[in-house]
Amino acid sequence: MSSLYQSMIGVIEKAITPLAGRLGQQKYIIAIRDGFTAALPFMIIGSFMLVFIFPPFSATTTNGFARAWLDFSATYREQLMLPFYLSMGVMTFFISVGIGASLGRQFSLDPVMSGLLAFMAFLLVAAPYSNGTISTAYLSGQGIFTALITAIYSTRVYAWLKHNNITIRLPKEVPTGVARSFEILIPVVVIIGTLHPLNLFIQAQTGMIIPEAIMHLLEPLVSASDSLPAILLSVLLCQLFWFAGIHGALIVTGIMNPFWMANLSANQAALAAGTALPHIYLQGFWDHYLLIGGVGSTLPLAFLLLRSRTTHLRTIGKMGIVPSFFNINEPIMFGAPIIMNPMMFIPFVCVPMVNAILAWTATRMGWLAQVVSLTPWTTPAPIGASWAANWAISPVVMCLICMVMSALMYLPFLRAYERSLMKSEEQKAQEQAATTQSGEKRNEVSVS
Amino acid sequence: MIRIMLCCSAGMSTSMLVRKMKEVAQERGLAVEIDAYGVTEFDEQFARYQVVLLGPQVKYMLKTLADKAASAGIPVQPIEMMDYGMQRGDKVLDFALSLIEAAHE
Repeated sequence: MSSLYQSMIGVIEKAITPLAGRLGQQKYIIAIRDGFTAALPFMIIGSFMLVFIFPPFSATTTNGFARAWLDFSATYREQLMLPFYLSMGVMTFFISVGIGASLGRQFSLDPVMSGLLAFMAFLLVAAPYSNGTISTAYLSGQGIFTALITAIYSTRVYAWLKHNNITIRLPKEVPTGVARSFEILIPVVVIIGTLHPLNLFIQAQTGMIIPEAIMHLLEPLVSASDSLPAILLSVLLCQLFWFAGIHGALIVTGIMNPFWMANLSANQAALAAGTALPHIYLQGFWDHYLLIGGVGSTLPLAFLLLRSRTTHLRTIGKMGIVPSFFNINEPIMFGAPIIMNPMMFIPFVCVPMVNAILAWTATRMGWLAQVVSLTPWTTPAPIGASWAANWAISPVVMCLICMVMSALMYLPFLRAYERSLMKSEEQKAQEQAATTQSGEKRNEVSVS
Repeated sequence: MIRIMLCCSAGMSTSMLVRKMKEVAQERGLAVEIDAYGVTEFDEQFARYQVVLLGPQVKYMLKTLADKAASAGIPVQPIEMMDYGMQRGDKVLDFALSLIEAAHE
C-alpha cells in the first residue's frame, strides 16, 4: 500500500505538478479565464432576464399569477429581450475586451488600450457592416473563438511593436494620457492593415467571413466538448490537479469556458426559438452537479466530518461547513487533508465522475432539465442548479441524489481514515509516555 | 503598521483566514493591515505590502510571483497546508511576521 502510494506521489510530482505549473501560468489560459471572469457579471444578469421572458410555468396554466406573468412576458417580449441581447447577445464584446486587458496587463501594456484594441480587432472580422447596420450573427456564442483569437493576436502585435520600439514618441512634456493614446496609433494601423485584408481574402476564397470559417473548422471540437468523455476527462484532470494541491478548476475552466459559452448561447437561442435544447455540458452542469460544495463534491463529506469520531476531523467539519454551502472547501481540502491523502484518493476522484455519469444519463433520458442560464459559482448547489435550468425542480432532485451518492462513497473511506488517525494518535500518546519514562530513567542515572 | 497580503485563486478562502489573523493581531494589540486578493491582482497590489503569503493551492505559481516581488525586496512564501486548512490565524501571522523580520535584516 505505502509503496504503491509512494509511486503514485512520484508520478504526480513528476508529471502532474509541472504540467499544472505550465498550464496554470500559460499567459493565454490566464487571459481567457480573466476575460470570462470580467464578462461574467454582465452575462449573469443578462441571462437572468430569461426567467422573465420564459417564466417557469406551462403555457396552458390556469393559475392566475402564472397566467398574468406569461401574458405580460408575451406582450413585452421585445422590451424584456433588450437587456438580454445587449449582454448575452453581444458577449464577445465583453470577452474580447476582458481578454485583451488581461493579456495586455501580463505583457505590461496599458490594459484599457489593449482591451479596446482587441475589441476593434474582433469587430473588424466579426461584424459585417452594410447600410448603416452591423450583423449581430457572430456577436454571441458563435463568435467566441474568433474573439479569443483576435484578442490574442491584437495584444501580441501591440506587445511586439512596443517591445521593438516601433511607436510614436512624443516629447516628455506631453501628459501620459495623451502620449498613451498616440502610442496605440501604430498598433491600430497594423491590426486594420492585417485583419481587414485577411477577412476580405478569406471571404473571397471561401464565401465565409472569419468567424463563420472558424466555427466551421472547430465544429468537431465544439460538439466533442459536449459529450460524456469530455466531461469525465475534464473533471478527472481537475481532480488530479487538486489532489496534487493545485487549483485545478482554475485551469480546467480556463480551457472549457469558450466551449461552455458557445454551447450556452446555442441553448438560449433554442429556448427562444422554442426548440429542443442542444447541449448538456455547460458551466452550470460543472458547478452544480460536479462541484457540490467545491471540488470533489465535498459538501456531503463536510456533514460527515461534523459527526466524526476524531476531534481533528470534527474541527475541520465545523470550520468547513459554512463556506462549503457556498462551494468554498479549502479548509476541508487542506485541513482534513484530502490533498495527497492516500485514503481519500479514490472517492475524491470517483465521486464527481459518478455524479457526472448520473446527471448526464438523467439528462439524456429527458428527465433532467438542461442549463440555460449563467449562475455565480458560489450559489449553493441545489439553488444554483435550479436557477441555471430556469428554476426547474428536477435539478434540485438531481443535486440531492448526487449528494447522497457522494456521502455513500466518501463514508467507507472516511471511516478507514478515521481509524488510521485514531491509531496514530494512540501511538503518539504511547510514544510520548515512553519518551518521558525513558527520560526520567536517564535523569535518574545521571543523578546517581 | 504591519502590512500583509494574502493571495489565492479568487481571494475567497484566504479572506476567511484574514479574518482569523486580524482577530489574533487585535488580541496581541498589533497594528496590522491584512488583505486577500485573487492571484490576478498580484501585480497591482503586492508593492503596497511588506510580505505576501500564498494559499497552498496557488503554490505552483510561487517562483513567478516571488521573482516579481523580489525586485522590491518583498518576500513571497506559501502558507503551510495544514495551517491553511485549519485556519490557524496565529501561526500564519507569526509566519508573516518572521518573514518581514528576516527581510529587514
